[in-house]
Amino acid sequence: MRVVIAEDGVLLREGLAQLLTARGFEVVGSCDTADRLLLLVRSYSPDVAIVDIRLPPTHTDEGLRAALEIRAHHPTVGVLVLSQYVEVGLAMKLLADSAEGVGYLLKNRINNLKEFLAAVRRVADGGSAIDPIIISTLLAKRRRDDPLDELTPREREILMLMAEGRSNQGIADRLVITLRGVERHVSTIFGKLGLPSTGTESRRVLAVLLYLRS
Amino acid sequence: MKSSAGWVVALAGCAAAACSVVLVLTSDVASGGVGEPLVLALLSSWITLAYVLCGLIAWMRRPGSRFGALMIAAGFANFLTGLSWITSDVPFTIGQALDLLPPVLFLHVFLAYPSGRLQGRFERGLIVTAYSTAIGLQLVAMALGGFGPNNLLEVAPDAGAGLAVMRIQLAAVSAFCLCGLGILVARRWREGRPLRRSLALLIDAFALGLVMIAFLLLSYAFGAPVVAEIRWATFATLGLAPVAFLIGLLHDRLARSAVGDLFLELRAEPAPTDLRNALARALRDPSLTLAYWLPEFGSYADHEGQPLELTNSAGRRAVRLIDRDGARVAALLHDPALNDEPELLAAVTAAAGIALENARLNVELRARVEELRGSRARIVEAGHRERQRLERNLHDGAQHRLVALSLQLSLLEEQLAGDSSATGQLEQARGEIETSLEELREIAQGIHPAVVTGHGLAVAVEQLAARALVPVCLRIEDEGRLPEAVEVAAYYLISEALANVGKYAQASLATVEVARNNGQIRIEVIDDGIGGADSERGSGLRGLADRVENLGGRLRVWSPRDGGTRVRAEIPCA
Repeated sequence: MRVVIAEDGVLLREGLAQLLTARGFEVVGSCDTADRLLLLVRSYSPDVAIVDIRLPPTHTDEGLRAALEIRAHHPTVGVLVLSQYVEVGLAMKLLADSAEGVGYLLKNRINNLKEFLAAVRRVADGGSAIDPIIISTLLAKRRRDDPLDELTPREREILMLMAEGRSNQGIADRLVITLRGVERHVSTIFGKLGLPSTGTESRRVLAVLLYLRS
Repeated sequence: MKSSAGWVVALAGCAAAACSVVLVLTSDVASGGVGEPLVLALLSSWITLAYVLCGLIAWMRRPGSRFGALMIAAGFANFLTGLSWITSDVPFTIGQALDLLPPVLFLHVFLAYPSGRLQGRFERGLIVTAYSTAIGLQLVAMALGGFGPNNLLEVAPDAGAGLAVMRIQLAAVSAFCLCGLGILVARRWREGRPLRRSLALLIDAFALGLVMIAFLLLSYAFGAPVVAEIRWATFATLGLAPVAFLIGLLHDRLARSAVGDLFLELRAEPAPTDLRNALARALRDPSLTLAYWLPEFGSYADHEGQPLELTNSAGRRAVRLIDRDGARVAALLHDPALNDEPELLAAVTAAAGIALENARLNVELRARVEELRGSRARIVEAGHRERQRLERNLHDGAQHRLVALSLQLSLLEEQLAGDSSATGQLEQARGEIETSLEELREIAQGIHPAVVTGHGLAVAVEQLAARALVPVCLRIEDEGRLPEAVEVAAYYLISEALANVGKYAQASLATVEVARNNGQIRIEVIDDGIGGADSERGSGLRGLADRVENLGGRLRVWSPRDGGTRVRAEIPCA
């Protein structure tokens, strides 16, 4: 699995590269600016680009703009944006109209190595990885006549994991239940929310996020 | 000037005027083709009389100015040229030698108004050259002959050369007059503000006189056929200038009665703007500027409290300083022509004394408010910068290092895979780091909403809506970024307003609207709750009003009981 990294903090950049290499990823390039990142993506067509949202020179939105450009012009390259803060607005901007091959995680998530590497793999494979804080914020959002109130605690839990971008199997492993059980829950949830339950996992992510956001 | 001397000059002027009439009527100019002798005689004596008498009046009003004397000289010079109508040798020669002096004197009078002095090297050079041309070339022409048998100065008769010199001379003098016209027009244009009415009339009369002189002289030079009529018209026009001068004087006399009106207006304790207008009316100077002296700032200021430089606005403006009880109060920047009427200026400034002092205090207060506003803006801005810097330091400094540290621990864990007690401790350390990172993130978030500066209001508000305690409907016009200070203020406003809705309003829905039109941004947060909010409720709204006003905007709150609450901020942004 080929990875490029754009991160201006040298400790973090080198540490990530070392770690990913040790776990069998092929780090084909790393850099500290948006321009270099786009060059690396063009030259190496990696499976996934890990991008710090704040890059020089202004440290405002350079990273996000580079990520959006990769999404627009290199649809086969997954983009995992790492940020010091997670915001619903930013997540929606990054996803735009597809959750395919995109991730948006708090930088702190690197701390949990196993989960982090799983997220990198999911994004590289065309799936999604949305930070749990985004999902919980959206779940807590007040609505009139909230259909979410009809969900059982277990269903809420499954909805959350689903929105993060996990597969049914991933959810089953995480909750230690059977795949069949997860599938049953998922179809109940979609029924209660009135969502059509078709499509790939990343389509499912977008549908759930848009639902939660509205 | 003593009044006896004045009487002498006046009588001399009358005598000279009478003489002109007699001279023309008894001479043989009628046969010389100059035209109806009586008309000419009356016009000529009218000019003599008008200039001498008006010069006298000007001299008595302002003995220090040369202007009156110049006018008198012009009047008598006009009379002297009439001597050339006498067929006797000496008077004819004198009259003929001075023939072109009056046009140059008129030019001198017009340019020297009102002080009697010429301004700048160009004007002085022009007048000196004009005098030398008028007298010098005339003598040369007379030496060459062609002026008839009474010319005492004829030494080397050469009629052709004499005519040529005379033509050159006439053309030159008319060119000088046109230069003078240019100077008058340029002065009026440079003035760039409304002139006092009497002054404008006078300058128009001057300009017209110069045009006519130039036209007349050019007609002579090229032998145009209508010389007689042109001559009458020119004399009549030249006679207009003293009339305009008298009209100006009459205006000024009327102006004195305006001081009485001023007293009445001042009793109403006018605001600084009205005070200026009242003074401008009383002085009949629409261009008047009033500058208040602010001792604490060591500068002058206009009625808004904005600093004003006397030296910059001077130039062709006259400055009169107004003191009260030995302390400077204000300065008047007025039309220099007002210096002709020191009594009027003194009366007006004396009448306005107390009102000016009041207005000065008023203006000083405004200047101080202005200064406070500026320092408040600087404090807010400095605070904002500092928070931004802190936030970035936390995120890009401490947070980065902690994440990197955690990464190193992970790598270490790989190497110690077999040692369960060591990996357990590492796991615990990573838990600590996790907690620290979370705390750090919350602190940094509270210090400065980096997402606003990084990604704009529309993106940032989404998070506020998601976390609000009531359902929120967003209507954000997202047309690109706004100035950073506006976005940050709008963000805090929406955040605080939504928090208030959640805490107090008992609302079922809140709506956030951001719209841009007519160079301003309107931010509105509306709820359908119980209303009755007052600005006392929490210092939050007060602080927000500060922030908004700081940007030149304003914040209003409507909150009728049981009618919901509407918080609206309007901030100018280009």
